[in-house]
Amino acid sequence: MVTFTLNGIVHSLDVPDDTPLLWVIRDELKLKGTKFGCGMGLCGACTVHLNGQAIRSCITPVATINGQRLMTIEGLGTPEQPHPLQKAWVQHSVPQCGYCQSGQLMSASALLAANPHPTEAQIREAMSGNVCRCGTYPRILKAIQTVTNAMTGEEETL
Amino acid sequence: MIDSPLNPSLNRRRFLKVMGTGSGGLMLAFHLPGCSQIPPGQQENSLRPNAWLEFTSQGACVLTLDRVEMGQGTMTGMATLLGEELDYDPSRIEVVFAPVGKAYVQPDFGLQITGGSTSISSNWVRLREAGASGRAVFVKAAAEVWQVDQSQVRTANGVCFLQGSDKQVSYADLVALAATLSAPSSPELKSADQFRYIGKHNARLDGRSKSFGLADYGIDQEPDDLLYAVLIRAPRLGSTLKGFDAEAAQRMAGVERIFACDAGIAVVAQSYWQARKAAEQVKADWQTNELSALSTEQVFAQYATGLDEESGDSVRDDGDLDEVLATAEQLVEAEYRLPYLAHATMEPQNCTVWIREDRCDVWAPTQGPDIARYVARRASGLSESDIHIHTTFIGGGFGRRLSQDYVNEAVLIAKEFDRPVKLIWSREEDTRYDLYRPASLHRLKAGLDRFGKPLGWHHRIAAPVVLDHYAKDASGAMAPGWTPPAIVNFSSNFASWITPDTSAIEGAEDLPYDFSAIAVDHVKVDPGVPISYWRAVGHSFNGFVVESFMDELAEKAGEDALSFRLKRLQNFPRHQNVLKLAAERAGWGYSLPEGHFHGLAVHKSFGTVVAEIAEVSVEQGRIRVHKVTCAVDCGQVVNPDIVVAQMESGIIFGLTAALYGEITLKEGAVEQSNFHDYPMLRMNESPDIEVIVVESQESPTGVGEPGLPPIAPAVANALYRATGQRLRSLPLRLA
Repeated sequence: MVTFTLNGIVHSLDVPDDTPLLWVIRDELKLKGTKFGCGMGLCGACTVHLNGQAIRSCITPVATINGQRLMTIEGLGTPEQPHPLQKAWVQHSVPQCGYCQSGQLMSASALLAANPHPTEAQIREAMSGNVCRCGTYPRILKAIQTVTNAMTGEEETL
Repeated sequence: MIDSPLNPSLNRRRFLKVMGTGSGGLMLAFHLPGCSQIPPGQQENSLRPNAWLEFTSQGACVLTLDRVEMGQGTMTGMATLLGEELDYDPSRIEVVFAPVGKAYVQPDFGLQITGGSTSISSNWVRLREAGASGRAVFVKAAAEVWQVDQSQVRTANGVCFLQGSDKQVSYADLVALAATLSAPSSPELKSADQFRYIGKHNARLDGRSKSFGLADYGIDQEPDDLLYAVLIRAPRLGSTLKGFDAEAAQRMAGVERIFACDAGIAVVAQSYWQARKAAEQVKADWQTNELSALSTEQVFAQYATGLDEESGDSVRDDGDLDEVLATAEQLVEAEYRLPYLAHATMEPQNCTVWIREDRCDVWAPTQGPDIARYVARRASGLSESDIHIHTTFIGGGFGRRLSQDYVNEAVLIAKEFDRPVKLIWSREEDTRYDLYRPASLHRLKAGLDRFGKPLGWHHRIAAPVVLDHYAKDASGAMAPGWTPPAIVNFSSNFASWITPDTSAIEGAEDLPYDFSAIAVDHVKVDPGVPISYWRAVGHSFNGFVVESFMDELAEKAGEDALSFRLKRLQNFPRHQNVLKLAAERAGWGYSLPEGHFHGLAVHKSFGTVVAEIAEVSVEQGRIRVHKVTCAVDCGQVVNPDIVVAQMESGIIFGLTAALYGEITLKEGAVEQSNFHDYPMLRMNESPDIEVIVVESQESPTGVGEPGLPPIAPAVANALYRATGQRLRSLPLRLA
């Protein structure tokens, strides 16, 4: 039995210890926003937050997250209450096929939580673990910068 | 609850949330237009003037989208075409995915497929007419309500206005009356200066759902009581199953059944992970054949032999090449070589199938739902009318999902169960069992006179033909629904006859440059490796070959690469225009930062002309692409921001191929498996991209693919200037 908090809700599940967290999220908890891309932690489509840090759920055995706090794209924001990055994503029409974008948003939000004012080089580096086959990188960069610039603006007006 | 063919146990609420506000219109996606019977759930007084447009009695405007949305923006593009002539804000249009239906056949192909960058061009008139006929009916209805002539009625964003008064009535309020009126068959269309939505920046209709993890892809389909399947596949090309031992695997937790089928050994379990783990414990014994020893070196040796020994098909022969080359002062010859490539869609192949006694539901991320239907019919043994294909959002297509191999496999497995089964490929399978962009070998020869003027051009191509691999399933979908599959196989040649395949020669036979003699030959050599359409298809390799060799000639002629091309494009003003625009914006010929070099290329594909200039440096032996300047002429632009996005997409996709892409074979097995050995360009390597979109009122042409072909030669041409090394094979590797 493994117990963890996901998007603020406590779950106790009876699943084999070695089951990757990704499949628990998708197929046991039926949250389909987190995607399967490579199964080896190479593409970032499965990125979720573990205690606020971006991790690859496809290579994280579920047993290792016992007692910990998780967040998926469904917990990041909703159309009614979007995370600032999600607003910027829509504004810049970032998604194309969209399959990698949950993972991109989870990596970007973890980055901004740790470093609200990353340089362009820091953004590119932090986002380099997330593959986008459609090539939305230029827009991801702009969307993140829109948010960091807005945050800078807010601080200046304070 | 509406009694719908859509599995009611699917999470309907979630589906609706993705698709829009959720009206009765949803279910209309699953019946054929033109049916006399009103399907359950549809209100009798809803308005459906054609196969694409419906106004529900509640006033919701619903577009049945017959092209699949795989990132290229077709959902937004089609809604824009419809909304323009309907006078209805595209962002208010709800979109449902079309079922298989005759009305939805892509006229260029005779199939209901999304490919060839054709969605906008083939619907440019069709969907605008659909919108215009809807608008005409509302105008008629409003005129009847107000008892005025129709010429007195104006429309804007879903509302009719009576000229010279403050009277107005919304389309929604007119639906009941409009549904009783007939729509004109050929309504008048707007002129370009009347466009309100076309050519303006329109936000993507799918941007929101995809930014909140709410878009449902094939892999997300989950009917109740679902089983999960994985396949164990032949380890080498041409190998077949001799036998297997699944005793230990069969005893593992959650395993339902392990059995052999035409696709391999199926392992079916309660969960994906249980199936995957059990599959590792199955021991299989495979029989090999001569194909099982194939290596990449042998493929290129076969190509070389073909070019040495066969003249091939002459696909272009202008002027007297031999005579012209005999007068040349210098001859330039080169051999170019391009590898097999995998599609590497982010969403691995998958398909969910539920077969009941006389019904087969297929949920598939497919670019060809009618081919999927044929394949499911063949694999299930059911009749065409029993097969129901449900298309989904697609996590990357790039041509991969024109092939329906994964649908075939899922049906073969699911027919052993009375429960729904979802087949999911691993990334390793997706890389190792793809249907690849064919490898090709090219020999080029050109002559220059003593002033450096180019005289003749000879391009010889060794490559297979994609349709040879594709025709079997495609012709089944084209044949009447009662045709037995055994007969369809005989008629696959018929498909190649009615649809000429240009997959090996496109981008070479249509060389735009002015030479006094041009010859292009295709020597068909098919080593037996599974192949398919891959973004930009033949243009993906011929663009590289032609534009690299043009640079070689410019160099030999001692001329600037830009002016050398411009002089030979006198009859191609669109090519000249995009070249000049890109060159001017990039600062061609002006100094760049220390160690940076420009290279350029221009290429027309799918009706669209694109020029690209790459700014490149080499740092510690590594190729860095800093900036790409792109100019595109795709005729009338429907959604400018999506055109820009598709250029960015084609450039980055093409850069992955230019810098990394290579599938190799050793003893009949693909050597690559996942993103560590088949890498993708990542954000830290992604260049800045600037796109100039040419204003035009010509009919629109494709944008999904044309951004790709010029990027590899532009980078290679820049590398030559940076290093003096002329790289004639991809991926680009410096000595």
